[in-house]
Amino acid sequence: MKQDSSYEQYLKGTHRLGRLVSAAVLVMLLGAPFLIGAVLGVSPDLGAAARGFLSVGLVWIVSGVVEYLVYTPMLGAGGSYLAFITGNLINMKIPCAMNARELADAKAGTPENEIISTLSIAVSSLVTVVVLALGVLLMIPLQPVLQSPALRPAFDCVVPALFGAMACRYYRRNFRISVIPLAVMSALFVLVPSLTSSTSMMIIPSGALAIGLAYWFWKRGQKEG
Amino acid sequence: MTVLEQLNRPELYLICGGIILFIAAVCVVMMVRAWKAGIRLGMDPARMKRTIVASATFSVLPSVGILLGVLALSGSLGTPWPWLRLSVIGALHYETQVAEAAAEQMKIHLGADQMTLEAFATIALVMSACIMSGPVLAAVFTPRYTKKLQGQGNAPSKAKGGFGDQAMVAMFIGMVSAYIGSYIGGFVSGEGRFAFRGSWLPLAVVLVSAAVMAVLTWLSEKKKMQWLDNFSIAVSMLCGMAAAALLG
Repeated sequence: MKQDSSYEQYLKGTHRLGRLVSAAVLVMLLGAPFLIGAVLGVSPDLGAAARGFLSVGLVWIVSGVVEYLVYTPMLGAGGSYLAFITGNLINMKIPCAMNARELADAKAGTPENEIISTLSIAVSSLVTVVVLALGVLLMIPLQPVLQSPALRPAFDCVVPALFGAMACRYYRRNFRISVIPLAVMSALFVLVPSLTSSTSMMIIPSGALAIGLAYWFWKRGQKEG
Repeated sequence: MTVLEQLNRPELYLICGGIILFIAAVCVVMMVRAWKAGIRLGMDPARMKRTIVASATFSVLPSVGILLGVLALSGSLGTPWPWLRLSVIGALHYETQVAEAAAEQMKIHLGADQMTLEAFATIALVMSACIMSGPVLAAVFTPRYTKKLQGQGNAPSKAKGGFGDQAMVAMFIGMVSAYIGSYIGGFVSGEGRFAFRGSWLPLAVVLVSAAVMAVLTWLSEKKKMQWLDNFSIAVSMLCGMAAAALLG
């Protein structure tokens, strides 16, 4: 692969565009409730909004910081800017980018990974936009089908279905790294059932354990030459 | 005109649709830039096309799941606002929780019967404000953070490959393990510690989905059906979800 300054130029442009777009999206999303309020002839109750923010917002800020620190290395620059403005990280964007990276055999931190990750997140976001736009257009005929009691369990299980498939792919290739985190997490959730309400926070110790194991095996591999 | 009818006014569709269109255009621009940069770097276009096809097929089913979130919220917040939130910045698990907490501050419950226009505007503002940390951090720190990550040797420079790549895989394994562990815990202790009366459906779905994935991987690797790789996740998920519908 040609490694030249054009890639550096591309990265610089990505940062410039990503920062600009992130700022613009922030303004739009924070401005939208005021604009909608103006159309409807009302204003948001700022006192109640501040209380609402204090009651749940702080938790989500901590969660957002953790997500940023953990997922940015997986996604690269372009993928991160896009993923953080398009949302649905755990249930779609991260697994999607990891799947694409696996299929393209791109290694973390390489220009290839940056390109593949950006393509993957962009396509994934566009698919969501199209599916939701079609869904909204066809809401009346679709509503009884999508909300039928027969299909309800299927749509409640999108995330388990996704993680089952991903687990098969990743556990098979990294069995030594997978066994202990899975066993430890299962034991924790069995012994402290209330933890299920904060599963997303448990990703941190689980990930740290898996990284520690991976590092140990990697170091051992380096020593054995 | 009822509150819900007002929340579905065409002007609201225009505002929300305009923002969605802007973000979709950003995705297209980023995709085209990445494609061109890949070509300049000498990447095989077929490999990039494969990424696009695999990511598109991968995203369809989760997107339908997200659409259900729009349907669920549209009963209390109208359709345009949940459409905007879940098309772009939002997340399925986040929106309902924050909307509910904001509604509490307005002394109402999230539902069409108690919703007022002022409550809606307030709830919408809280939903926007609470999830801002991701884009703010991305805008402020990403250039420095990604540079630092590269400086720490994420690039696999040595013959055996750097640790950065394995760290990413390990982090993902940690994430999957946390979720599967929660399904196991939910089944074993969800209705009392070691009662084995909790919901077994998510665990059954994980097993079905993983089993289908194993078969597809076998076909791809042993029977030379590599074209299956692009669809293996989507097909496995579909089978897992079908199992949920049958068993649930």
